[in-house]
Amino acid sequence: MTGPRRLGADTPEELGIVQAAVEYAYDQDWSDGLPVVPATRERTDAFLATTDRHPDEVIGRLEPLRREVTVETAAVNAVMAGCRPEYFPVVLAAWDALMLDPTTAVGAWQSTSGPAPLIVVNGPVRERLALNGGGGALGPGFRANATIARAIGLLVRNGLGVRPQVFEQATQGIPGRWGMCLAENEEESPWEPIAVDGGLAPGSDAVSAMLVRDTEFVDNRHTADPEKLLADLADTLGRTGALIFEHAAAGLVLCPEHAQLLARAGMAKEDVRRWLADHTRRSVADLRAVGKNGLTDLGGRGVRVDRPDEERSGEDRVFATDTAQHLPILVAGARNAGISSVVRLFTSWPRISARVESCPADVPVPLSLVDPEVEA
Amino acid sequence: MTLDHQALFGAFLSPHGRASGPQGHLVRAARLDGVAALAGARVGLLWNTKRNAELLLVELGRLLIEQYGAEVTARQAPYAHAVPLDGPDLHSLIDSCDLAVVGVGDCGSCAAAAINDGITLERHGIPAAVICSDAFDVTARATAEVQGDPDYPFLTTPHPIAVLAETQVVRRAEQLLPGVVARLIVQAEGAAS
Repeated sequence: MTGPRRLGADTPEELGIVQAAVEYAYDQDWSDGLPVVPATRERTDAFLATTDRHPDEVIGRLEPLRREVTVETAAVNAVMAGCRPEYFPVVLAAWDALMLDPTTAVGAWQSTSGPAPLIVVNGPVRERLALNGGGGALGPGFRANATIARAIGLLVRNGLGVRPQVFEQATQGIPGRWGMCLAENEEESPWEPIAVDGGLAPGSDAVSAMLVRDTEFVDNRHTADPEKLLADLADTLGRTGALIFEHAAAGLVLCPEHAQLLARAGMAKEDVRRWLADHTRRSVADLRAVGKNGLTDLGGRGVRVDRPDEERSGEDRVFATDTAQHLPILVAGARNAGISSVVRLFTSWPRISARVESCPADVPVPLSLVDPEVEA
Repeated sequence: MTLDHQALFGAFLSPHGRASGPQGHLVRAARLDGVAALAGARVGLLWNTKRNAELLLVELGRLLIEQYGAEVTARQAPYAHAVPLDGPDLHSLIDSCDLAVVGVGDCGSCAAAAINDGITLERHGIPAAVICSDAFDVTARATAEVQGDPDYPFLTTPHPIAVLAETQVVRRAEQLLPGVVARLIVQAEGAAS
């Protein structure tokens, strides 16, 4: 035999090695709670072969924690997350897109609000990687979706050292943190992909990423009136519990049925945004009732506080602008019901999408285990 | 087949990132010599944008003036709560004070930022009293370790702070004052820090 003998995990003894390897990773505190795939040199190199970027290129830095991560750090964590090598260019693009949000360099990962990346993929790469953008797009069940999002989470945890209850101080956390990666359903969207709002040409392989604090469903399947649908969306968008600052920002993940209904009424995404920015308001009386009628002026950002004696009246607009910075819109999900989602943004969307590097069609997938007796 | 698991799994690559630069040396600024030295000392206040942080620090400044004859010469303009002090802001503070009071570390990122700022000021010769809420004690201590000063002493005050009324914030300042003073001066042997 030339070269190391590959183990097929086909005997109880060899399966025991696999289980021990998983436990080893837990013992090192490398896991987000679920089993990880051990990152060997061989497998990590297969990931690095999908990119022209140098393994030592620094791709992220968290100065308050004195940590930085490289392309290779990302590859190791992507292996551990369960990615296939050909997913790696999307992992890198997702990371690049997140780094374009300035809050990720100073405090977003540590925040008590525990924001989660919502990673949106556009372009032909969606099909190449079997990324789901149809039924259950925000849910589980698809390897590329699940592992690309998880790779970002492991990179934050292991790479930057932001571990729960130490530097990560989420009060309650968010279901789906490190689990929200979806393809946009471009085929059933009446509009241009979100990456066009992010400055790229239609048809580009691209990733857009935003930090979100929740997803809230809007179930409206029995009206054909676009204004009634928009009013229903505006009600969720204007929820007082989500108001912290003078203005809020929120994205819409519209299902194909809702997007098409609005498009049939002649509305472009800009029209939808304009309508929602104009109509999403809360009365000062409502705000006073929940202790959010007052505004401080701290560092140029108005923070909502309780001012029981303030005599102001009228209405407050929820959105500062009607742009994609404060109201990004994408289309995802099945065309089987009128169910859309509001995603509450941590701050805003920088409106810059990241390109996905092209990668060879056939990347070899090496096995992770090598028999050390043979190799020695 | 008997395998040495440690030898086998030692081949797994570490997923950790690397240090972004050399760790600073453990440097603490010299404390003032006793409470009498506070008279005429220039105190810089560095507050973040968390609600009531400004009020608490301004009140502490007022007490240091009234009770110890200190001067409050720098009231740093509010800066983003999670961004460590650097550049011109840092140097203007260093140039205009002999001591500093920093706070309030009462969120995931601003607790880390407050500790970073305190240790940075110490390295520039400015003794600093850093105030964090007790809900962020672990983050604050972990930040001090990252910065190479694992035992860096900071003050804690009970969380929450943002919901306190003005009179309650004033009371907090009074409660914190002895600890703040103890952090800024050389203490008699055996005194609590």
